[in-house]
Amino acid sequence: MATMRTCYGVVSDVGLKRANNEDRFCAEPALGLYVVCDGMGGRNTGEIASALAIETIQQHMREAARRPDLPLIGVHDPAFSPQANRLAAAIRLANQIIYEQASQRPECAGMGTTVAAILIRDQILSIAHVGDSRLYLIRNHTIQPLTIDHSLVAEQVRQGLIRTDEAQRSSRKNVLTRAVGVQPTVEVELGEIPVRTHDLLLLCSDGLTHGVTSCEILQSLGGCDDPHTMSQRLVAMANAAGGEDNTTVMLIALSPDHQPGVWQRIRDRFRRRAYQHAH
Amino acid sequence: MPDVTMTGPIVILKLHESVLKEVELKEQLTIGRKAGNDLVIEDQAVSGRHARIVKIHSVYFLEDLNSTNGTHVNGRKIDRKQLKDTDVITIGTHRLVFRDEVRNDSVPVRPLAADSDQTMIVTGAIQSGRAGTCRQSPVVRIVSGRTDRSEYPLTKQLSIIGTQDDAAIKLTGWFAPKTAAMIGRREDGCFIATAEGGKIIKVNGQVVTGQVDLKNGDLIEVAGVKMSFYLDTPAKP
Repeated sequence: MATMRTCYGVVSDVGLKRANNEDRFCAEPALGLYVVCDGMGGRNTGEIASALAIETIQQHMREAARRPDLPLIGVHDPAFSPQANRLAAAIRLANQIIYEQASQRPECAGMGTTVAAILIRDQILSIAHVGDSRLYLIRNHTIQPLTIDHSLVAEQVRQGLIRTDEAQRSSRKNVLTRAVGVQPTVEVELGEIPVRTHDLLLLCSDGLTHGVTSCEILQSLGGCDDPHTMSQRLVAMANAAGGEDNTTVMLIALSPDHQPGVWQRIRDRFRRRAYQHAH
Repeated sequence: MPDVTMTGPIVILKLHESVLKEVELKEQLTIGRKAGNDLVIEDQAVSGRHARIVKIHSVYFLEDLNSTNGTHVNGRKIDRKQLKDTDVITIGTHRLVFRDEVRNDSVPVRPLAADSDQTMIVTGAIQSGRAGTCRQSPVVRIVSGRTDRSEYPLTKQLSIIGTQDDAAIKLTGWFAPKTAAMIGRREDGCFIATAEGGKIIKVNGQVVTGQVDLKNGDLIEVAGVKMSFYLDTPAKP
């Protein structure tokens, strides 16, 4: 089976209104692991929670790659692949660690974080998320959300009580129904779909989606194939829409895996140089 | 929250981080969305008559009045609970902080969850159903070709057809690929997707590019194996 090449770009920005950035992320192409976390909690403890989540998930996934027999935290869900279950286990472990820290350090009480994590292996995309950080799939010039927020308004949309546009305008859209680290255990939502070359995946914190609609996201991605430049554009749009919150945008492009020829490599190097000069 | 010296117990009504009101507690305080309650909270997630705080001897109890979305104290859903100083009551998206002690600045105030942050969490408020899977129990039945079984219930959200260990539909032919195709389940049905570098798949004789939705009774051909797809487990022929 042909393998896919992944190429990613990421930009994390404090926004215009907040004093510090409580978003954290990690990208580990060798594992196919990409994670975005948005921390919350008083007095800057949000960034402790999001950093702990990233660190724990990354370490657990690295260790599991070396030792597939590593114990799985929580219950194995037979509806999903072993790697999706592994990702859920990593998030549950992060939950335990953040919860323990929060109960031991009074200044950290109540801290928590969202997690949106994906694992790309062969042509299978495993998705695990908690909270309102999102994953979108951009394919054939269409954009499709692959996660449903664990928020009060999203639950109300799911129950048919309000419409999506009402949810977007709601003053209560920052009320989460699930977060990592606030309770002794956490329910992780899993998903799994096939992906293919030319797919583009977008992981983002709510700083992007509160100000920018998915239509606007799609439009801004047209005519560009560099994930870093596209991420910069999206963050600029979030700030243009008010920059109320921290914004983290990570774009992962899947392309066919072929070794670039010698001319292609020279041209790429030249382009990178030119880019570095320009910035 | 300002530290004030006080004598009688109070509740402080908060929305997100702002304090809306402080109410001194008497014998009884009824809380709800409708006018006529002692404390009216304008919030769609709050029931008309939602809860009440009653004084019994010198102790205060919080009772949920069969509200739709429930009443929570410190994150736990309650029917009836004795209130302690600094307990945080969650009703809809509003919070009520119960204060019952004469205090001054030397008394430590327990930090409240997400007190200086705009995001807050309500837990246990709503049970969400699992999204993304269809309600039927779809099944694939092998018509011809080499596989390890004759029938495969599709229990996973993504079932791999191939020779690999975790394939749901296991091909045993000599030249069968590791991943030949994948069948995915969605809320509104199932679809089949080609694997890149895998084999050509046909559905009802038509070659599939990318992915295509599956209908009940569709005939799938992949890597020399023919199989029928059923949205729900059919009776044995």
